[in-house]
Amino acid sequence: MTLVLDEAGLALAAPDKARAINVLPGLTDRIFRTVAYAAGGITVAIMVAVGLFLSLRASTALRVAGFSFLTQRAWAPEHQIFGVGAVLFGTVTIALIALAISLPLSLGTALLLSEVVGGRLRGVLVTLVDLMAAVPSIVFGLWGVYFLQAEIIPVSQWIATSFSWIPVFAVTNADGSSATDASAFTSSAFIAGIVVGLMVVPTQTSIMREAFTRAPIGEREGAYALGATRWGMIRTVVLPFGTGGIIGGTMLGLGRALGETIAVYMIISPIFDINWQVLKTGSNSVSALIALRYGEASDFGLSALMAAGLVLFVLTLIVNFTASSIVARSRSGAESDG
Amino acid sequence: MIPIRRITHLFAALVLVGLWAVAGADSAQAAAYYPISGSGSTWSQNALDQWRSNVARNYAMTINYNGVGSTSGRRDFIQGTVDFAISEIPFQAHPEDGSASEIPSTSYAYMPIVAGGTSFMYNLKISGQRVTNLRLSGETLTKIFTGKITNWNDAAIKADNPALAMPSKTIVPVVRSDGSGTSAQFTLWMSKQFPSMWTTGMTSQFPLIGNAKAQKGSDGVSGYVSQNYGEGAITYVEYSYAKKAGFPVVKVLNKAGYYIEPTAPSVAVALTKAQINTDTSSVDYLTQILDGVYNSTDPRTYPLSSYSYVIVPTQVAGIFTTDKGNTLSAFMRYVLCEGQQQADTLGYSPLPMNLVLAGSDQIKKIPGSGGAGVDTSKCNNPTFKAGDSPSNNLLAQTAPQPQACDKQGTTQCTTGTGGATTSTAVTGTGSSGSTAKAGTSSTTAGTGNSAASNSTAAGGTDQSGTVTDGTTTDGTSLDGTSAAGAISGSGAASSPYTLTDDGTGSNRSLMMAAAGLLLGVVILPPLLSDRLKGRSKP
Repeated sequence: MTLVLDEAGLALAAPDKARAINVLPGLTDRIFRTVAYAAGGITVAIMVAVGLFLSLRASTALRVAGFSFLTQRAWAPEHQIFGVGAVLFGTVTIALIALAISLPLSLGTALLLSEVVGGRLRGVLVTLVDLMAAVPSIVFGLWGVYFLQAEIIPVSQWIATSFSWIPVFAVTNADGSSATDASAFTSSAFIAGIVVGLMVVPTQTSIMREAFTRAPIGEREGAYALGATRWGMIRTVVLPFGTGGIIGGTMLGLGRALGETIAVYMIISPIFDINWQVLKTGSNSVSALIALRYGEASDFGLSALMAAGLVLFVLTLIVNFTASSIVARSRSGAESDG
Repeated sequence: MIPIRRITHLFAALVLVGLWAVAGADSAQAAAYYPISGSGSTWSQNALDQWRSNVARNYAMTINYNGVGSTSGRRDFIQGTVDFAISEIPFQAHPEDGSASEIPSTSYAYMPIVAGGTSFMYNLKISGQRVTNLRLSGETLTKIFTGKITNWNDAAIKADNPALAMPSKTIVPVVRSDGSGTSAQFTLWMSKQFPSMWTTGMTSQFPLIGNAKAQKGSDGVSGYVSQNYGEGAITYVEYSYAKKAGFPVVKVLNKAGYYIEPTAPSVAVALTKAQINTDTSSVDYLTQILDGVYNSTDPRTYPLSSYSYVIVPTQVAGIFTTDKGNTLSAFMRYVLCEGQQQADTLGYSPLPMNLVLAGSDQIKKIPGSGGAGVDTSKCNNPTFKAGDSPSNNLLAQTAPQPQACDKQGTTQCTTGTGGATTSTAVTGTGSSGSTAKAGTSSTTAGTGNSAASNSTAAGGTDQSGTVTDGTTTDGTSLDGTSAAGAISGSGAASSPYTLTDDGTGSNRSLMMAAAGLLLGVVILPPLLSDRLKGRSKP
């Protein structure tokens, strides 16, 4: 009190200053805030812990292999020769094939669900797609191995004979002649890619659908008012609005496809060479390699597998961060966040 | 038929458990067995799965088993994550392939659980008809799996199979992608018998050579071969897998010059020549030395016969307790006696008495076994009767001599092998059989003269004359006519409709399970739609 009176000149300016608001949140608010912060913090901490654990365990192997770990195309930790060169290639190949299959499928499904069907049918279809995500990957794997593989081989053969002028679709024997035997087409990256593609469809569909349904009703009706057909409206309003959702969903699907383990592991015949011929037997993926070898690995072998896991972890992180940043920057994503 | 047998087994087992209860050693715990778990070999998994379900039904014993491959099984045992492991080969203190050495920190004992033959299951058709009587010499097999022979019409294969017109088809060797005792047994045999061709020694990790495909587990390799796209494929797998899949196995040439199938008797005969390490102080006590088996001159021998082992802990450590030891020892007593009854039907060969006795001593070392071994007078093992001498093996004694047509030379038996019991049409004389399509007689000149009529005349069962040979056969490798003559003598029953049903077997049932689940996923949503009605909004 006395202080204010003594410095009257300053006291005049004081009323302009914002009054410090001391909010005393209620108990429930505090509990909620603590829980929310803790949940978020723990999630991040777990992520960091996984990364740290992988790095620590991988360091033994990485110190031996050095940079060649990323380029070496062999897996014999007992002889100190190991690297993920070919394995990483296979992982990416399978994921890209999966995307090529899943992108048109999920885009079409998402548009169907958000724009075409309505009412009860939509609810049923949405549940159906979501349930597809709940099918365990081992079921997809079994289906792929014991049903799809036999059925898809003629397709592979047809692609290989009709499009052999495209290098990745050619299937050649060791002597360079084109292969025709059904056995040359089994256990390929193509088959694994199809199965993984079907597995990521639900993830992609629901993200895209979410983005499409957010397209502003005013713009939609504006398009109709200007004489647009339904497709015209979708093309001019929904798709541009949902671009972020499409890209983000695709990238999230890619992240899942990169890490898919059991279905790939059941289908492929693991190799440690780079196989450009995607229709031909033999591929590999990081997660399938880990699943195949961890049970019988020595300590050092395990460290090498951890290093492979670390590479996949980083790769998936990059993909997912890119995806979420794209989604957030897009119009639909920004609105959903805002 | 089978249910009756099951019932008798059940009855016998009940009697047995009653006897144990009376004997009193572990009567207190017999009522409640502590669950145990193990992992390892897929080679012997078919037998083990049968035993597990038997003891679960009859004694309420829970035995969990994970067929992850022998290498993983041994690794799991070392790390103490399982109570027991099953492996074809002992711990590799100095692995030949340079992988890390395996030295468990706790004490353990090996005990043989079952014998069997590492067989070569294949999927081969000649003009659409499944071949079920393929025969190969060890050298040819080694060349196939080392990529030196790449086509089914290779001269070496034709020489082994005078009665078959081998088609020009690429051979696809299917090998194991995981660390496997089957791979170890096969590579050990190759390294001992053909060291110049197989130079990598015994290895659990089969290298991928040439056209080979790698699949995981015995189920994986046999599943690949039994698919339609597996035509032309051959793999090494325990005999039971071929039986289960309904596929034939290769008759392998033994040192006596006979091509033999790995049936229970031929495996039993072969293993009478196995040297068992009888030095009780050795870490490898009871393990097998198989050189005698490979080189046995008994004409009934299947050369790739071996035993599979369970690795049991002999001290309480980690997750293993005396309660678990009680379960494990009771299970092992069941395996050595009662369990062996089913070995033959499943595609294995029962253990002989000397190994049952030695195994009984190993059981006594398990903590919690109460020092109870196997009572041979009440043991229901088919290889011996009460009061037999331990060196006797009833099965080996009564094993039939091979048929004359199985002898190396110009004759070839037509009867099926493994899970494919149908005979194979004789096609190897270069002729197309009988009345079939005109276009098929484009065989090489000078061979198939009288052969066609021979084969059909002899095999007068049910053929409508579709013993065709549409492939570019050339029966020139052998004197066609003499071969045909010999074959007709041994009953060349060509049976054109004999393709075994590919659909039976676990693969199809797995597929059905998957289909059922998917179906459930499709059917479920409509059922749930009532609940959704309320909250379904645009």
